[in-house]
Amino acid sequence: MTDWTKQRKERARRLEEVASLVSGKVVQPASVTPLLERIICSGDRVCLEGDNQKQADFLAECLTQVDPSQVHDLHIVQSGLVLSEHLDLFRLGIARKLDFSYSGPQSSAIARALDQGKIELGAIHTYIELFARYFIDLTPNVALIAAVSADRNGNLYTGPNTEDTPTIVEATAYKNGIVIAQVNKIVDEVPRIDIPGDQVDFIVEAPKPFYVEPLFTRDPGAVTETQILMAMIALKGIYAEYRPRRLNHGIGFATAAIELLLPTYGEQLGLRGEVATHWALNPHPTLIPAIESGWVQQIHCFGSEVGMDRYMSARPDVYFIGHEGTLRSNRLLCQNAGLYACDMFIGSTLQIDLAGNSSTVTPDRIAGFGGAPNMGSDAHGRRHVSDAWLKAGHEAAGHDGPLVRGRKLVVQMVETFGEGMKPAFVEELDSIALARKLGMPLAPVMIFGDDVTHIVTEEGIANLLLCRDADEVEQAIRGVAGYTPVGLARDRAKVEALRQRGVIRRPEDLGIDLLQADRNLLAARSIRDLVTWSDGLYAPPSKFRNW
Amino acid sequence: MIPENVMNEPSWYESSARARINGLLDADSFSEILGPVDRVMSPHLALFDLPPAFDDGMIIGRGSIDGRSVAVAAQEGQFMGGTFAEVSGAKLVGLLRAVARSAGTPQAVSTVFLLLDTGGVRLQEANAGEMAVSETIRAILDVRKAGVPVVALIGGRAGAFGGGGLVTACCSHIIISEQGRISVSGPEVIETNKGVEEFDSRDRALVWRVTGGRSRVLLGGADAYVKGDIASFRKSAAQVSNSVPSFSLQTLEQEQERLEQRLQAYGGCRDTPEIWTIAGLPTPDGIADLTEDEFIRLLAKEGIRHDAR
Repeated sequence: MTDWTKQRKERARRLEEVASLVSGKVVQPASVTPLLERIICSGDRVCLEGDNQKQADFLAECLTQVDPSQVHDLHIVQSGLVLSEHLDLFRLGIARKLDFSYSGPQSSAIARALDQGKIELGAIHTYIELFARYFIDLTPNVALIAAVSADRNGNLYTGPNTEDTPTIVEATAYKNGIVIAQVNKIVDEVPRIDIPGDQVDFIVEAPKPFYVEPLFTRDPGAVTETQILMAMIALKGIYAEYRPRRLNHGIGFATAAIELLLPTYGEQLGLRGEVATHWALNPHPTLIPAIESGWVQQIHCFGSEVGMDRYMSARPDVYFIGHEGTLRSNRLLCQNAGLYACDMFIGSTLQIDLAGNSSTVTPDRIAGFGGAPNMGSDAHGRRHVSDAWLKAGHEAAGHDGPLVRGRKLVVQMVETFGEGMKPAFVEELDSIALARKLGMPLAPVMIFGDDVTHIVTEEGIANLLLCRDADEVEQAIRGVAGYTPVGLARDRAKVEALRQRGVIRRPEDLGIDLLQADRNLLAARSIRDLVTWSDGLYAPPSKFRNW
Repeated sequence: MIPENVMNEPSWYESSARARINGLLDADSFSEILGPVDRVMSPHLALFDLPPAFDDGMIIGRGSIDGRSVAVAAQEGQFMGGTFAEVSGAKLVGLLRAVARSAGTPQAVSTVFLLLDTGGVRLQEANAGEMAVSETIRAILDVRKAGVPVVALIGGRAGAFGGGGLVTACCSHIIISEQGRISVSGPEVIETNKGVEEFDSRDRALVWRVTGGRSRVLLGGADAYVKGDIASFRKSAAQVSNSVPSFSLQTLEQEQERLEQRLQAYGGCRDTPEIWTIAGLPTPDGIADLTEDEFIRLLAKEGIRHDAR
């Protein structure tokens, strides 16, 4: 007869193995490494909670200390590969296979490890894509997670950085997996229960609080006049034209400039209340002036941001705040919101090719995808309508009608020349060279050209919705590529014809006064100004101070 | 909350030297001397393959504030770091000498405003620059002796460092904002010469705690503290001229005594919160974190013990 409870029995066996190392659910820090050695088996799928921001850094350090002859060939399945310990697992032979989403600071190290054959790469995912696979074919056997506090029954309070935790635990706990949490403090009663204790097997009080990476702070002091001009072009040529109320902003100075222009230039354009009222967005400090001047109705967050907690707690009408008073973020739900409930994604990129494919890959860095491909893609399952969505769809189809569905606005902002005067417009993306080198069947592309609706540079807007064939797309892109080789190779007559049709719109076509693109147009010109706007509630990390 | 001055007023720190002059003076009252069309440029920069500026980064002229005739000189901090050099120095010294000479005549001005924004001497023309600093100091003292106050306005990106710090200290009156900085050796210079343990130039909070506007005004190194918008500088500048003490031996002797006492009381301190603790200020560690309004209230309560002015 078939045994239908093999997983349950295996789980019970492992828990029994470590009974001597624990007291109830509590593990002493010194016992964590021996516990991991017994509870994790070679070949297991392990999620070592590395999110976009929050890191289970103590558990990561302990896992690097297990004996590789006992525990090896682990399959790491986690969204963020951010700490050096994460890569040490592969270097030490503890882990072999990797499925992930985002690598940020480790992007060069991952590229090297892949090149040296230390990592067997499953796939690079978007966030919700990896989360989806947690429930299909990448379910973790063991999840090592991080929270702010726990009670002795294992109830967890994650604090504002809830991020991926509920999703990881859901997949692991309900499929006979084992969940171990590092917490900053074990308390008698947690302020709120983000993860119920019956889904958590063990807790350990870490020697120091878990690490959180500040990722979304952009210093208004570093916003350039070119970025301000691009923001003006986007506001007048896209926000004012399509009126997207629900949107997501990517990270970067271009979008930070837009946020800082909402209360000034956006106000001049009469857009308050008409656009950008509902957001799927990380807690960008640069959005504070727009919030304070009444632009924003509500924001759901993927994660939190260092220094923003007190401000958000004091603005519960805007943010999602627990009854106990702190932010509740959730990456899976917010990504889903960005995919299905937003009319626009606007973000920066590094490279764009002649078909509008957009990529942040460079030959020696694999930064992963994170959420941008989902934020920046048209959700074909969407059925509800909005004016912005329908207008974009009708432009793409060239007509309207009961069977013409809408399109999400997917806007890529890029200066024609990037860092080190490297042209942002290229004949071939670097990611294709990388794919060739690593033998990948699909090149890592952040946003495919067929999802991109507009490209904004300091030269103007290319509206790809209005292009009728690949040649028009190419000339529209060349037309806003400025003095890059791609731009110089444009067909003057075709570009002029596209401009006559409004496919390409220059700042002067939009009635934008270039001289107005001045830093004094920013609602806040320094981090200090943001603190002032926040009534002193925003507490920036000291590296951003100039007072 | 919506901070009206941040939102609606151009920032001094962000603005160009010309925009500062325009915001400071009565509308359309500025008449420039040796403006860009005259193209009096540095003869030295070409040697270094560096582009010159038509005004050499020094804008001088006359105008009025609330109808009173004033002379004004502004450094463009974004050109070569607002440096003192041969041409820029000569323009500044010439203006000051003309003011001293015209005192008591129908061409006299009521006040001189120096909108300094400088890292000090321009290294490419160092000898001329050092001479420009010393000639400027001499000329400022002559103007003060002639009974015309010289007012420094400090709030630009480059601060007032090196010779610019010395020139500032020789003025009759100093107006500063939170972002303004005054010192002689800049943070990077100290770190290079004395090591990062002595002064970590990348610790931005430390740099401002030591050289920034709040510390300077609390210590008496500046006489007026304003919010960082141009309108606030203008308002303070318009009020200045009657509040400046006479430039007499007695003033200097009193000041010497005050400085000796200050050295005695605070000479052993490593950082400003230690000074504020000895001085008995409330929240000595939190001075930098006060809002502008809170700090201005604190200053009103504490009073300003100003330097040799």
